[in-house]
Amino acid sequence: MHSRNAARCITRRLAAESPLACSFRRSLATEAQSIPESSTASSALSTAPVRSKRPPRPQISTAVVLNRSPLLTRTPSPFENAYYAYQARIRRALHNPFPYDFYFKQGSLLETRFNMEEKAREWKAFGRDFVEEEFVSEEKAAADKAAVEQLAQQEGEGEELLPRQHEADATGNRKSLDRQGKRNLYLLLQASENGKDVWRFPQGGVEKGDLLHQAAQKDLYAECGEHMDSWIVSRNPIGVYKPQQPSASAGEAQPEHAVFFFKGHILAGQVRPQGPAIKDFAWLTKQEIEPLVEKDYWEGIKDVLSDY
Amino acid sequence: MSTSLLNASKANLTLRTSPSLARSYAAKPESQGGDPRREVIRRVLYPSQLRNRPTPVGTWRSDVGRAIQHAIPSKQAHQTIERAWLLHQRHVRKQRDTELRRKFECMKKAMDELEKIDTRLYLEANRQEDPRARSRTEVDLIKTLKTSEVRVLEARIRGLFPRELKIPTDTPSRTGWNYESRPFPRPL
Repeated sequence: MHSRNAARCITRRLAAESPLACSFRRSLATEAQSIPESSTASSALSTAPVRSKRPPRPQISTAVVLNRSPLLTRTPSPFENAYYAYQARIRRALHNPFPYDFYFKQGSLLETRFNMEEKAREWKAFGRDFVEEEFVSEEKAAADKAAVEQLAQQEGEGEELLPRQHEADATGNRKSLDRQGKRNLYLLLQASENGKDVWRFPQGGVEKGDLLHQAAQKDLYAECGEHMDSWIVSRNPIGVYKPQQPSASAGEAQPEHAVFFFKGHILAGQVRPQGPAIKDFAWLTKQEIEPLVEKDYWEGIKDVLSDY
Repeated sequence: MSTSLLNASKANLTLRTSPSLARSYAAKPESQGGDPRREVIRRVLYPSQLRNRPTPVGTWRSDVGRAIQHAIPSKQAHQTIERAWLLHQRHVRKQRDTELRRKFECMKKAMDELEKIDTRLYLEANRQEDPRARSRTEVDLIKTLKTSEVRVLEARIRGLFPRELKIPTDTPSRTGWNYESRPFPRPL
């Protein structure tokens, strides 16, 4: 009794603005008639049959929005490319000439290579007709080119960079974590709930004594396996979803269900669906999630996800 | 003594061909009998101060006027391009800000709901964690782990971004995504 009183005092001090947060076992704000402040300790604790029925405590679930961050930088738009080229041209026109004799030995092969590359850069910036070409005999030009190619081969500069499109993009493999390197991917599970197959984020209940973010991690491991290096970002939920409960029989209010979402990142590994309830999984962008999930669910989660 | 100094200076003057307008370190070096590398370094560090050519900052490309004319179509065009760029940056910034604000509103709504539903969970969610502290579960876990595993556990600090969360690159890695990941207990 004493501890409850003390706890109530603490909560009253801490949650001064909210007139509703005055006791631990508080009823919902969604209740139509607000319980007057005068009916304090005794009535709140004991089940007074005179008062209207108190709706039961809401059910809390936690879910994890597991995100695979972009692996690749974004492609600049044509306008951005044009602007960068324009600025580069101005800089090239204005800057001091490169002290090539400081960096390259006169007559060396590296200097020849540098001169060829620099001429190509000038052509690209100003156009071929702008730069006045000094006369170079054809044989000399051909000899230079051959020598530079040989140098490139010797130095092993043939290491090609991988293309930005992965083969998973071509095949459209939605389970692959290499797909859509520029975008944010989110994990969606296809689970059977009440006989229906719905696409949703990994979700589960909260055990007694657990904090929400701990429960979120446990739920993630329970549904997706532990072969993932994941990181739950913080203790704070990033969103809440309250599914519409169909009004139950006899006017009795059903317990409200609130699902709290927690942001997580996957750093390595892959999902291994656990249990018969999880039929399928996919790593999807925000635009791909929209047609798959229920409309109600989409309204709850769309503001939580990144657009790109 | 003064006469000997005067004689000495006269002697120096007769040896020089013309008075140099540059300081001694920036003077043109003798063509023979000097390390060419030293001359190169000197030329790079101390460019010629002669202002007989249209180059206000010492040295730049010889056809700078023509190059600038070629690069910039006209003053109005340049200003239009600048304004278009700033407008584009504004659009990008606004989009980013709207997205952040949307996400923040979601977070705020979630915390408000949590406050109404369960005060204890709400207070715990708001608690500031000390990144240096070890939780009770971690202490118990450390007793069971090997030293190398303890180091792996301690490498990830609560509240800080993990090192494995890499920034995006221009091209993907050769190995691609690491699909093999051993389960490692990391109590929250």
